[in-house]
Amino acid sequence: MSVFLLQRLGQALVAIFGVMTLVFFIQRLTGDPTYLLVPETATQADIEAMRRTLGLDQPLVVQYANYLWDMLRFDFGTSYVQNVPVIDIIASRLPYTLQLAAGALFVAFVIGLPVGLALALWREKTAAKLLMGVVLGAQSMPTFWSGILMIMVFGVWLGWLPPSGSGSFAHMIMPSIALGLLSMATYARIARSALLDEMSKDYVRSARARGVGTGRLVRKHLIRNSLIPVISISALEISQLLAGAVIVETVFAWPGLGQLTVQSVQSRDFVVVQGIVLLGALVTISVNLLADILYSVVDPRIRKGGRA
Amino acid sequence: MIPVSIRGLVVAASLLAAPAVLAQDITVNLVNEPSTLDPHQQWNPDSYYVYRNIFDNVVTRDDAGEIMPQIASDWTQLSDTEMVLKIRDDVTFHDGTPLTAEDVVFSVQRITNPDFGSPQLGQFNQITGASVSGDHQVTLTTDGAYPVLLAQLVKLSVVPKHVVEEVGDEAFNANPIGSGPYKFDSWNRGVEVTLSRNADYWGDAGPFEMAAFKAVPDASTRVANLRAGAADLIVSLDSDIARQLDGQAGVQVLTAPTERVAFMGINTIRPPFDDPQVRHAATMAIDREGIVQGILAGGEITADQMATPAHFGFVEGAEPIVYDPEEARRIVEETGAGKTPMQFATSPVYDQRIVQAIQQMLNDVGFDVEISMTDMSTYLQAARAPEKADRPFLSFGRWSCACQDVDGVQFPLLHSSSSWSRVEDSGLDALLETARASLDEGTRLDAYGEAQKIVHDNAYILPLYQAVALYGATEKLDWTPTANESLFLNRMNWSE
Repeated sequence: MSVFLLQRLGQALVAIFGVMTLVFFIQRLTGDPTYLLVPETATQADIEAMRRTLGLDQPLVVQYANYLWDMLRFDFGTSYVQNVPVIDIIASRLPYTLQLAAGALFVAFVIGLPVGLALALWREKTAAKLLMGVVLGAQSMPTFWSGILMIMVFGVWLGWLPPSGSGSFAHMIMPSIALGLLSMATYARIARSALLDEMSKDYVRSARARGVGTGRLVRKHLIRNSLIPVISISALEISQLLAGAVIVETVFAWPGLGQLTVQSVQSRDFVVVQGIVLLGALVTISVNLLADILYSVVDPRIRKGGRA
Repeated sequence: MIPVSIRGLVVAASLLAAPAVLAQDITVNLVNEPSTLDPHQQWNPDSYYVYRNIFDNVVTRDDAGEIMPQIASDWTQLSDTEMVLKIRDDVTFHDGTPLTAEDVVFSVQRITNPDFGSPQLGQFNQITGASVSGDHQVTLTTDGAYPVLLAQLVKLSVVPKHVVEEVGDEAFNANPIGSGPYKFDSWNRGVEVTLSRNADYWGDAGPFEMAAFKAVPDASTRVANLRAGAADLIVSLDSDIARQLDGQAGVQVLTAPTERVAFMGINTIRPPFDDPQVRHAATMAIDREGIVQGILAGGEITADQMATPAHFGFVEGAEPIVYDPEEARRIVEETGAGKTPMQFATSPVYDQRIVQAIQQMLNDVGFDVEISMTDMSTYLQAARAPEKADRPFLSFGRWSCACQDVDGVQFPLLHSSSSWSRVEDSGLDALLETARASLDEGTRLDAYGEAQKIVHDNAYILPLYQAVALYGATEKLDWTPTANESLFLNRMNWSE
């Protein structure tokens, strides 16, 4: 177990270092940010001065070393535009992103898994085909459209929910659904195929032959055994949700990381963008690490190295 | 059972009545949250929409655009380089301390201090000194005669010296204290900034008890908020979105021509544009009316000069620029200007519908123009390249100096010494310098009149249109938006 864990941890660290390096150099590839930060009336001398202040006049290697040193001390820098430490800015937005991710995940799980189950169990019936159509529809609707549609119907015409913003449970409902619908469809389809896969296995046939009822079979064996792919997908979905749902947050004026990303890119606040990208990478990598560990809990074969 | 349901009815009725009670409050939807509330730091619209209500400026402009007293009740030009300001003696900051001449001096010194690094420094760097020169009196010294000084002071907010020095810049930005009609209440990061009326304001504080400025990045969502009654005023609409609001019950679209001039920049150093004829051909190829009516359709006004009527130095009756694609085609053919491939440098920030329309129109008359799209940083690097000849052949921009003076537009774009300019004309340089350094309005106007002739005759740049700002508001709001794109709450009213 511990060897397996250490191995995975080592891989995660290498990945994080890789992301940090990439972020640094890609950012340098997009050109000199000094021009974006000085006002239009700045003279060439002002531009030079600003470049010195930002440390951009130093050789690239020195800049890279400074950057790594800052990162080692968890110093993410100070926003060029807001003059506030990046870590504070991100910290103020993170709770909203977590709330929304939780809401979306709830919608996706609570609707997606039963739907997947139903699709697998009723696979021959017309109801399943209809349901599949609905699921596909939900997945295919672009959020900027379905989101605005929801706002118009429930916020403007019916007046049941606040059209946008944050601050109460009611504010969370529409963005959670808009964001959750996408993942819901994924969950339903993955759960369906995993379940179908399991149902065709020998142990299911022999269990049925022993007279085990469908309900018991599903509860006792099938759900648990088909969870592996669901967990892998969750890892992907969660890291996506946490990296910030740019469109949903923008449409619903939800003050999470996605909206912050857009705002920072627009105002060319590179330090903030860099912080968000790093956070996203950290989340993705740690969630995948967690998924690896979870696999080994659910399926002892992985833990014992059979498929690791 | 019955008393319970009566209570229920009362509760329900009070809930329904609640919005009416709250009508004293105003909710504004911005695009993003303010970057800073310290008025000496950022000055993007989402920031100054808010902080201009918390702070008073040295002077202000009325709705007609005239410069009016605010913190300075009076001003006299002592010499070419000295201006004396009389400071009001009845103004107090929100913490109860009186505003003094010291605070004005401190504000000037703070924003002009290079170490402070204000992005607004470029607007005030002509001010070389500020000192208290008597009771409620401040003397400003400028680097040479500086006619635009007063126009710049419209944007200089007065901050309390004692507070800034005590708490430091970061804490001041998080909890700003000004002397304006509204006090800072709270800043819920990423969500909203709330202000409350300053009951002790020396002037008219306006009708709202509270004001909330919320960040709503998507224009369709802002419109939905307005229609649902969750917002009273929304900013930054485009003409398509504004049309959706037209004819809807309970809402109105407010339009204000701004001081922003859109233009096509031409590199007059690089062949074939070093030939005035070819430049004329390029200007004659562009159907500006078509761009304004067909693409923008938000009430923009075609411009024949690099100025709007909101600018000092606007030339009445400037000669119109003709649209004549036939003649343009003839010139391009005759001069062989179409043989040189040219780049139209641009970046995604600019309205690509216009960039593409211009490219199309130029190619239609025989030029060989391709769009060169880069990120903003690379674009700016090229646009401000040290050698004029390296600056782009063609570009599209929308310029505002936020000072409503032609100097702020034409000097940076056309004077040969500017890092934006693609023009070398000593005659034009001399006129722009005269206008920049004279305190006599007549002399300045004459110089801009002459300069306009030179620019027009040589087709140094193609002015396109005067941009407009579109706002959506509830029908009940009574407000006249102005050219300087400010939202002064104390100039708004409920129309009932």
